[in-house]
Amino acid sequence: MSDQSTPFFQPEDKIPLPPKSAEVLTTCCDYCVMACGYKVYRWPVGSADGGPRKHENAVNRNYPLRPNQSGWIGPNQYTQATYDGRLYNLAIIPDPDAKVVNVKGGHSIRGGCIAQKVYNPRKPTQDRLKYPMIRINDILMPVTWDFALDIMAAVSKHVIAKHGEAAWAMKYFSYQYFENTYALTKLAFKDINTPAVAHHDHPAIVNSVPGWVDMGYDIFSASHEDFALADCVLISGTDPYESKTVLWNNWILKGINGNKTKVIMINPRRTMGVAYAETHGGLHLDINPGSDTVVQMAIQRVILENGWEDKEFIDKWVANFWETDSGFGQGTRNTPWQWRTTWGKFQVKGFEDWKAWMLSQEESKPEVAAEIAGIDVAKIYKAAEMMAKPKANGERVKTSIAIEKGNYWSNNYLNTVSIGTMGAILGAGGRPGQVVTRLGGHQRGGVNGGPYPTMKSAYKVPGRRRHRLDLDRWMEAGHVRFAYVIGTTWIQAMAGSSALADTFKKLIKLNPHQVRSFDKQEIIDTLIRRSDSGGTVVVNQDIYLRDPIGAQYADIVLPAATWGEEDFARANSERRIRLYSKFYDAPGDALPDWKIAAKFAKKMGFEGYDWKDSNDVFEETCRFSRGSRKDYQVIRTMAQRKGMKAHDFLRTFGTTGLQAPLMLFGDKIVETKRLHDYNRTDIPDTGPEGVTIVNKRMTAFKTHTGKLNLLKSPWAEWSDFYEFMKPRDGELWIATGRINEIWESGFDDFERRPYTQQRWPMNFLEIHPDDAKARGVESGDIVAVEADRVPIQKDFNLGVKSDDMRFSGLMKRGHIKISTGQFSAVAIVTPSTKKGVVFTDFLKMDSPANSVTPRVPDPFTLNYRFKIANGKVKRVGESVFKHKFSQMTFKRRDIV
Amino acid sequence: MSDDTTNLADSGCVSRRNFLFGSSAVVASSILLPALPGTGGKALAAEMARYPRKLVGKLSSLKTNEVQHFNYPDDGSTAKSVIVKLGTPAGGGIGKGRDVVAFNALCTHMGGDMRKTYKSEHQVLGPCPFHQSTFDLQRHGMIVSGHATESLPQVLLELEGDDIYAVGLIGLIYGRYDNLKG
Repeated sequence: MSDQSTPFFQPEDKIPLPPKSAEVLTTCCDYCVMACGYKVYRWPVGSADGGPRKHENAVNRNYPLRPNQSGWIGPNQYTQATYDGRLYNLAIIPDPDAKVVNVKGGHSIRGGCIAQKVYNPRKPTQDRLKYPMIRINDILMPVTWDFALDIMAAVSKHVIAKHGEAAWAMKYFSYQYFENTYALTKLAFKDINTPAVAHHDHPAIVNSVPGWVDMGYDIFSASHEDFALADCVLISGTDPYESKTVLWNNWILKGINGNKTKVIMINPRRTMGVAYAETHGGLHLDINPGSDTVVQMAIQRVILENGWEDKEFIDKWVANFWETDSGFGQGTRNTPWQWRTTWGKFQVKGFEDWKAWMLSQEESKPEVAAEIAGIDVAKIYKAAEMMAKPKANGERVKTSIAIEKGNYWSNNYLNTVSIGTMGAILGAGGRPGQVVTRLGGHQRGGVNGGPYPTMKSAYKVPGRRRHRLDLDRWMEAGHVRFAYVIGTTWIQAMAGSSALADTFKKLIKLNPHQVRSFDKQEIIDTLIRRSDSGGTVVVNQDIYLRDPIGAQYADIVLPAATWGEEDFARANSERRIRLYSKFYDAPGDALPDWKIAAKFAKKMGFEGYDWKDSNDVFEETCRFSRGSRKDYQVIRTMAQRKGMKAHDFLRTFGTTGLQAPLMLFGDKIVETKRLHDYNRTDIPDTGPEGVTIVNKRMTAFKTHTGKLNLLKSPWAEWSDFYEFMKPRDGELWIATGRINEIWESGFDDFERRPYTQQRWPMNFLEIHPDDAKARGVESGDIVAVEADRVPIQKDFNLGVKSDDMRFSGLMKRGHIKISTGQFSAVAIVTPSTKKGVVFTDFLKMDSPANSVTPRVPDPFTLNYRFKIANGKVKRVGESVFKHKFSQMTFKRRDIV
Repeated sequence: MSDDTTNLADSGCVSRRNFLFGSSAVVASSILLPALPGTGGKALAAEMARYPRKLVGKLSSLKTNEVQHFNYPDDGSTAKSVIVKLGTPAGGGIGKGRDVVAFNALCTHMGGDMRKTYKSEHQVLGPCPFHQSTFDLQRHGMIVSGHATESLPQVLLELEGDDIYAVGLIGLIYGRYDNLKG
């Protein structure tokens, strides 16, 4: 036992209050998809602080506050920064007067501490990237923007001319602000026109929930209010208490405590949200990883056998055979739905045909499903009853379905199909408290500056269509000669990351052509020689130097400006768009991503990048949002009528913003609370005006008929891979996920926050007491997790026959290589994780769990199966935290 | 281990100065003050010097896992605090078992009153009745699970004979802008 203990994080015990004269700017949290509204109070250092009386401070509160009053400025909510050359005090707090999302100032632990994200040279953020750098003699050296971008452009031009557009790759953060994602995709798609582009979280540009999108459900159709209106909410593959905190605190708790909402959670772990739901009439389905589909099918079987399906809804809103098989758009021609169904694996001839199929499936029998999932079969019957059994008065139960990565990052297509069909037979979609939606991860800032060049992709699936390019496989195969990496670690974020790291090392570090001169032309010549010799040149653009992509592999590192350092706009999980105000100056020479892309594009000789400020970019993006769930063209139209900049017009809506899709009637902006709202009455028969659109998804479902297409979810499409991945010979399931303290903030600076470092100084591994005992592991021990059979699909891009892409076939024909992966963690022994399943952080950069996850994407959808991994857990020894009190706690996280 | 501190513990008398600058040991009666790098603890010592010294209880009256309430540093509505003998050593714990600790009991998320939420089997305060945050009393009030933006403010304790004195706080009490302006 240590003979002393000092708390690692020692906050201030007094904080200056903003004076009445402080400037107040609105923004939103930069992290999770909720995007809570925040206020920034800014006043010059050296000027008088505010006083505790309401009339003496800008928060307009009397201090001390009453409980739940909001408006508190904690030690982590205060900092200082430079604005326009002058040093200011900044208090950044959840908007105490927020009317939406975080009503009255709710917040998570992440957003609550977001003031510490601000660059402050006297705080741990002092190591932000500040200058462009070039690697010379393996040292990153500061240079000017022109020097760095001249080299980037010269090498890019050569690679595109000699090796083709597909040799020029871009890996980027799809969730960033509209201005940035637009500029980057305009560059990659419209001007360079390369198919070698992937988002931060997938090997390609793909849909996360393709099953229900094929059926006709939108991905983000719900409003937060729906979670307080439902009688029953099924939540799968996430716990919003841990991630999407304010959805839990402000909306789901409102339902549980006000509306007696029953929450069913599907998750191998018993987290705090699960524990709370259970004590309030909810249910926990503690399934084995990857078994979701059979449980979802079994619940539907019970519903069908009892006749509890919503017959009225099905009659009106589920397509019959003729409707499914005819027409354009999401019909049989030219749609993802068809690419996946050439051999009739998934489509059905209407409800009765689907029902007959469902009832004929061995895996839909509750006993069979319960056996596969490792749960008590009674829970399947109970779940069906809670979701669908009519109330005593004959009314239907209002049930909503919400899922996230634990569900769709395992058996992607079948899970998202079978939970979508569950929604359809429950009558969910488009009604208050009856919705099907993702809960979301990052915020929604994607807008396309050009179309994806599908025909240039080298990957073809069995059937008639091409897949978008799997950039990781393309990289492994040595086809990427130039990679522009923006705002992602790429390597650790992808599956089978150890093998991917080997490829990066081989193509970059071990290539003989390394820069050893400060002569611009010689640098260009060296990097061109590298690309011509089969190697890869990497440019990495980020806010911090990331290891290894920036620290080890990048030839050029570009410093980006971010949240608070530029005016930006973005949408959240209920399609609400707000302005994120600039309130301080970016460090050093850092520039916003759109501006870097524009500078580079001009050096490439492309036109259309003469934007003066981020508002110019935003105004250009508006028309590309038309018809989408984020349709915000109206903002520009109204701004023009008022003679304002679009950013400034949006700013007038503060933290409330505008909920898209937006329509215009006269000068009146009509917002959209939820999609598929077939009962809405606020759209005049004459239709919206001018530039605005009533997209079908607003008043019906997103198919050619406006009705939902039911689909099959045959277990055999997954079972061979699942059998291979099941733990054997002392292995355990390795489940990965997020924790409250680090959720959609991992890209940022949690390593630089003493408060978070106190809680999580190292990676952790939750392990069941029985599994721990068998391995001699106690809480506080360092353990090694090792997987010696990580499957990697190394090639095979041309599918011809129906089953060409099935795992057993790929394996037999030699397209899978077996790799290994390792990471370490501090053990937390807790019965909250299921026996046989350990749980660890999804992306701890210095100990990445993705080294053990399989890199064999879902053949139908190119989604990785991150949540299906196995490995052996061994004790290494005691961690420094085991017997000390200053950092890390090993208490259970599900205490109610 | 400092002989100086051990002797003080045995004598049952801790002077303010020794409290501020001494190290502690398994049997030490005072918390070791956080030492900021390069300051030898002086910065925080100076900081704590502004806090009142207030008698908050008797060591002999504390029973393991029985929570007692008190107010500190004043009697304002946000001064609600708890003192508890955890029965297991804790960061900043006093008494022979180093297991007596005290904290302000308002959740540092939204100010929920957690005085009646102690979970003896886990040495945890919470879940907060508002949004279910939990705090580890064995580890300086560190967040176990939840939303708070700082640990529970730990009340620094001194032992003088059988008398327990509150002498300072680490962290800002929820709702206040200055701990001493309640």
